Amino acid sequence: MDLAILLIYTVNDKIHMSAALQRIVNAVTPAGDGVSQPFDAGQLPNNVSQAIWRGTEVTQASQTVVASGFPSLDVQLPGGGWPCNALTELLQPQPSLCEWRLLAPALAGLVASGGQILLVGPPKRPHAPGLVKLGISANNLVWIAADNPAERLWCTEQLVKANPRGGAILAWLPQARAEQLRRLQVHAQACDCPVFIFRPQAAQLDASPAPLRVLASLGTDWELHVRILKRKGALLEGTIVLNSIPGTLESVFALRLMRPSQLIAKPEASHVSTLGSAVNRHRLRQLAAH
Amino acid sequence: MSAHWAALLTDTVCDNSLRIDPQGVAVWALQFSPRVALKDQTVLLEVEQSLRLFGGEDHVHQLVETGAGELGISQVAWAPTSLAALACARLGMHDGFSAPLAKVLDPLPFECIDAVNAHGATLARLGCRTLADVRKLPRGGISRRFDSHLLLALDQAYGLRPEGYPWVTLPETFCAKLELPGRVDTAAALMFGARRLLVQMCGWLSARHCGVTAFTLYWCHDAMRARDAGDGGEITVRTAQPTQNLDHLSRLLTENLAKVTLKAPVGDLVLSATEVTPFMEETLSLLPDIRSTGEAVNLVLERIEARLGKKRVLRPVLTEDTRMEWMNHWQPMNAKRPISKVRQVPGPQPTWILKTPLLLDVKNERPFYQGPLQLLLGPERVEGGWWHRVKAPEGDGQHSLNVARDYWVALSQHAGALWIFQQRLPKDSAASWYLHGLFA
Repeated sequence: MDLAILLIYTVNDKIHMSAALQRIVNAVTPAGDGVSQPFDAGQLPNNVSQAIWRGTEVTQASQTVVASGFPSLDVQLPGGGWPCNALTELLQPQPSLCEWRLLAPALAGLVASGGQILLVGPPKRPHAPGLVKLGISANNLVWIAADNPAERLWCTEQLVKANPRGGAILAWLPQARAEQLRRLQVHAQACDCPVFIFRPQAAQLDASPAPLRVLASLGTDWELHVRILKRKGALLEGTIVLNSIPGTLESVFALRLMRPSQLIAKPEASHVSTLGSAVNRHRLRQLAAH
Repeated sequence: MSAHWAALLTDTVCDNSLRIDPQGVAVWALQFSPRVALKDQTVLLEVEQSLRLFGGEDHVHQLVETGAGELGISQVAWAPTSLAALACARLGMHDGFSAPLAKVLDPLPFECIDAVNAHGATLARLGCRTLADVRKLPRGGISRRFDSHLLLALDQAYGLRPEGYPWVTLPETFCAKLELPGRVDTAAALMFGARRLLVQMCGWLSARHCGVTAFTLYWCHDAMRARDAGDGGEITVRTAQPTQNLDHLSRLLTENLAKVTLKAPVGDLVLSATEVTPFMEETLSLLPDIRSTGEAVNLVLERIEARLGKKRVLRPVLTEDTRMEWMNHWQPMNAKRPISKVRQVPGPQPTWILKTPLLLDVKNERPFYQGPLQLLLGPERVEGGWWHRVKAPEGDGQHSLNVARDYWVALSQHAGALWIFQQRLPKDSAASWYLHGLFA
């Protein structure tokens, strides 16, 4: 028998709710025959069936989200994408590892509709020509070079309060404490754009007020291993494997470079002279020509 | 025709610290109505025609009283005639509309109207105490014994005769001065006085339907200053879009003042609006305007820029250069952006770049960065830059920023795909590898 939890959002309509509960009870426990029927939310009145959340479910339709661009990741994220109106914590083993690989598909969509991408205190200089190739145009990029933790927090908070609708805020806050993040999270609830907070992997042991926490690391052969440490809904055991070749490399790679793990097995392949043959000849000629 | 007068007393000061300039208050008050008059130390303001524009009587009262409070005025009174409002304000009454005008005025002592008070001694000997007592005297006798002003003033106060004033005109430019009550030693503490000037400026701006894009705060050092401190200093604050927003302007000024150190204690402040442009006010329509949020982001970025400095809030500008370092440069947010379209560089480009390339270890002819690197793709030759000459850091010779590099895409097990290069200079016999970017 399915376990259904009824969330009462509107308590005003008490008579309606009790009637609905009565119908659930009737539907779930048929009179004495012991045969369990699957619970069908469709039998309920519309407003009640929308308010029902099952313990096994992830998706909540009420939240606005930005599709991540990875279908296998979207399935596991509540609402089907990176959430707006909330903090999203992204943990990495080391900074500047896979931020753009993970986020560029989502950010490119935001930029295409005119949103601004606001970077607060990135660990390295962003390289605009590379980002343009990922679809993040130079006109929509703002780099706030805030160095110390207090400045970063202040800038992030100001931006979150300003609610840059249609854009995204990317903040690197490795030293932020839980109460500081909680403050940001409270402000982020009124912010209609995704807010990404980048933190080191070690922070996964600390409690965090962010409703979504994601740990991303590198796998073999251009894979990204993503673990969802915390989300609204059931805990996700296991790793999501995303296939993501850094955007600008995909077009120039020969087929065998799609699987670099096979190359690494051969030590002689690292030699410069032998490597030339591993390169797509046609592309190489183009590269050398300019 | 009914009228709605406010009297703002500038000679009674609420925090007895700053002197209030009636002229400045009058300029500020012009935002509500063109009918503003100065009478002795009082600003009189007639708002009957503006009540609907500002959203009703209560809202106008609230706006005027909050603004007056910010300017340091504690005594504001409202009445149907200006002299009645003035009388109420002097006696500390707030609302002259609470009862019919005659009932409000009758019990007041006659000293509260100047023209009557001029004959105070005689009237007192006649046994008059209140305005009602004076009105009971025969009019013919009053006009014979006293001058004509007394009857005129009485009639004007009771609304029996029209009132006329020379109205204050709105100045073309804004420049207001404020004498500080004591010597101020820290720049941040100037904000207390400067805020009052900003309130005046915002009133002036909204009366002119303009927004300010640059304003300057000058401060004059106190007379007892060190000889080398100079007369004073100034600070100019700029905004990208014209604004009348008091909170935004004062936040910008606070951030800018936080960076100023005063050479000597300050006695006077002067604020002037240096660049003023016509201003499109926000629509107050029922339907929300989506564009307004974008402006708010720009305001916030400006504020961040004011605190962190111009070189810290940056936007990229692409240039046609094959060298990684000069392929794009970062410029302050409000700097002018080139219009010309830039051709994209073919081939892969990293997404992060190191400010200065990092020299890598080499073992067995293999570059190391967090373990051995696997070269995947290359070489991509980048050469040039001999035309780009800069001054050498020491000495006065010039050297060119010529590069000759072979770029490779390398794979690290821990750090992902990297953009590394091999320096190709004839004097370098050993191949030296550098890390320059990351495909993160």
